[in-house]
Amino acid sequence: MNKFQYFLEYYNGEPLIIQLVWMVSCLLFLAVIILIIYLKFLRVHLRENEKITEKYTKDYELLLITYLYAETDENGVSLERQSVINELEKGIKNTFKRKIIVATFLKLGNEITGEMAESIHDLYSQTKLKKYALSKLKNRNWYIIARGIRELTLFHVKDAHDQVVKHVNHSRREVRKEVQLYLVNLFHFDGLKFLDDLQTPLSEWDQIQLLEELQKLEDQQIPDISLWLRSANKYVVIFALKLAKIYNQFGMKDVLIELISQKDEKVRLELIPVLSHLHVIEAKEVFKNNFNESSKDEQIAFFKLLENLIEPSDEPFIIEHIYHENFEVKYSALKLLKVLNAAKFENLELTPPESDFVKIVEFIKNN
Amino acid sequence: MDTSTINIILLIFHYLFFIYTVSVILSYIVLAFFSIVETLEYQKKNRFVNYKEILSSSISPSISIIAPAYNESLNIIENVRSLLSNHYANYDVIIVNDGSKDDSLEKLIEAYSLVKVDYLVNEQIPTKPLREGIFKSTNPAFEKLIVVDKENGGKSDALNMGLNLSESQYTACIDVDCLLLEDALQKMIKPFLELTDVQVIATGGVIRIANACTIKDGKLLDVDMPKSMLERAQILEYIRSFLLGRMAWSRLNGLLVISGAFGMFDKKIAIEIGGYDTNTVGEDMEIIVRMRRHMEEEKRKYKVAYIPDPLCWTEAPDNYKIFTSQRNRWTRGTIEVLRKHRKIGLNPKYRSLGLVSFPFWFIFERMAPIIEVVGIIYFCVLMYLKALRWDYAFVFFISAYLFTVVFSLVAILSEEQTYHQYKKKGTGIKLIITSLIEPFIFHPFVLYAAIKGNFDYIFNKKKKWGVMTRKGLSKKEAV
Repeated sequence: MNKFQYFLEYYNGEPLIIQLVWMVSCLLFLAVIILIIYLKFLRVHLRENEKITEKYTKDYELLLITYLYAETDENGVSLERQSVINELEKGIKNTFKRKIIVATFLKLGNEITGEMAESIHDLYSQTKLKKYALSKLKNRNWYIIARGIRELTLFHVKDAHDQVVKHVNHSRREVRKEVQLYLVNLFHFDGLKFLDDLQTPLSEWDQIQLLEELQKLEDQQIPDISLWLRSANKYVVIFALKLAKIYNQFGMKDVLIELISQKDEKVRLELIPVLSHLHVIEAKEVFKNNFNESSKDEQIAFFKLLENLIEPSDEPFIIEHIYHENFEVKYSALKLLKVLNAAKFENLELTPPESDFVKIVEFIKNN
Repeated sequence: MDTSTINIILLIFHYLFFIYTVSVILSYIVLAFFSIVETLEYQKKNRFVNYKEILSSSISPSISIIAPAYNESLNIIENVRSLLSNHYANYDVIIVNDGSKDDSLEKLIEAYSLVKVDYLVNEQIPTKPLREGIFKSTNPAFEKLIVVDKENGGKSDALNMGLNLSESQYTACIDVDCLLLEDALQKMIKPFLELTDVQVIATGGVIRIANACTIKDGKLLDVDMPKSMLERAQILEYIRSFLLGRMAWSRLNGLLVISGAFGMFDKKIAIEIGGYDTNTVGEDMEIIVRMRRHMEEEKRKYKVAYIPDPLCWTEAPDNYKIFTSQRNRWTRGTIEVLRKHRKIGLNPKYRSLGLVSFPFWFIFERMAPIIEVVGIIYFCVLMYLKALRWDYAFVFFISAYLFTVVFSLVAILSEEQTYHQYKKKGTGIKLIITSLIEPFIFHPFVLYAAIKGNFDYIFNKKKKWGVMTRKGLSKKEAV
């Protein structure tokens, strides 16, 4: 007690700054103790959670398998199946167990196909899981909305369309992406209608995901993409160009030629390989005329196009660019010259010996 | 000097140290806050990401992994196998054998059925010439592999050779002895592909320490805590630095460094600025500063992104000699880069780069060891002059120590709540004990190495990399 009083007297007699440092030290000491206790608690909690999750996952997997292999009743749900549903309903009321049930549904859903997968989707709709997923769409937090949409996508809940589509222009990119994936997964090419009025960017990451989903579909008949190629949203145009290339949209030649005069360089860069792929020879002259005004990337892309669409009439243009300052253009031009006029290529003057030009010629000669 | 003059000088020192300490503490609190916000946001965003689609997509952009190797004969075969086992669809691996004096090349030729090929190199960045040439495998299983044998020119020169050879849009520059997780490439490429309003010029990944972990066939099987306190302290330091430091700078778009062990770049920008600087030992920091400087000068919107997932595991020094040599090099690298780009500092033309990131690095990274040593000298002077108030010194010391411990504990907490890599029973308490004793048994060596680095920078200009003896990650396989 005396020691404490002595300390108090000492403390009161010190300048304010030292009093403050003492206070900070005490607070930090308290923080150290709290953090150590909390860390201990957290680690134990995480470990226990892992164990419990593992146990419940096994239990629910077993229940789902019982449901899948239970006999069906012509008059409705069989007793065995009904008991599984009841068991699941009990678990669904608890948030922690609900998360495990959804994860188990998803895990099993990914492992099975055909009628069994359909049964899993039916079971999902029969339980209150669907109701919980739909309620997530009304949440204020964007990540809960996104999680809800993802769940509806994975369990093929088509009748949530109207509620999901409300978020198509959500301020968060992650939510918009989930909406787009929901539409494409469940409504296939029809789901792409969201592109008609899309005001927001569609990143390359999103585009790859959508294209991958589309390529999984059995029916590969794509709708008219001309509206998207003419869209005011450059991201929609770029995505439509990818569609044109993957789905060989030869009928879009005229719209594609219109796009050559697009102001955005990224669109033009995406366009060139598409023109090459679809053999739009008419585009060559336009590019040749604009060649010197084009960016370096466009010039390289155009020469790549020429590698695919070369004609004897291109020779003067090619010769004009065999000494181009850009290595890739020079390489393409020389390679094309060898194809068009081997004799001229062989007679090229190889000076100065250490130059890129000579290096490229020698390489083309040897390969 | 009379007593009053000495007193005034001491008082000035007194307040300077006090202001510096308070600003260090405040800046660390702010950084920790931003880091936690950024990590939570990252986790929320990435909970929905389906990386599998990007993995298998034929239209996913191409990536070249560039790995320089110098005398890595001991582990090169396993390390290359690990790099070749990534799950990304569209990538190649360029191993640049930088004039190794050992049998690395022969081993690679034999293990991967390599043959010399005629390869047209667009030498956009000047490098040392090829030695034996360029090799590719005759085995289709290793078609992604390109091995280049060149004259020794250092790590930067080897990376520049890789940049010249790469035909991909993006390049991942990595230390050949690092273990990359199978989904590392798609996680690193995501920021490049998903941001539409700014151009991502580089992404950095978290580096974790693999000492004592179980690794088999290039795969991380088990994470454990090493026995040596030096290695444990480095684990704690890496967690603190990557989870509480760099994440904050990523949020503020102020990252000045991406670890040389694993970083991904937009190749076009990396070449535009002339690749890696061969005249510095801090090439990983230098290239980022130069890229940022270039983008600022061109007035282009850009971002250096950061991925907090533990994607890359590396071997940390397990003895003090190699450790101090490594830190010495890091210090010299930082000094060289800050000096080379001093024009950026406090220059409003470079916006937050010049006004926030650069001054922060100068004051709290570059100057920190010097100020600490001056502080120790000041302490001794006070003792000599019998002007030291031991009770004041004690309370300041206690508060500084407790703040360090709290900061480390917050870092551990952040790790537990996010990635929870150290799951084994007992590892938590080991980390806590490390955070309590680390300021006494680890920090003095960090300080010594930093001061030695400053000394070598001034008086020993010829000193370059130093030797890092590796035991090899593959040795840690479970028996």
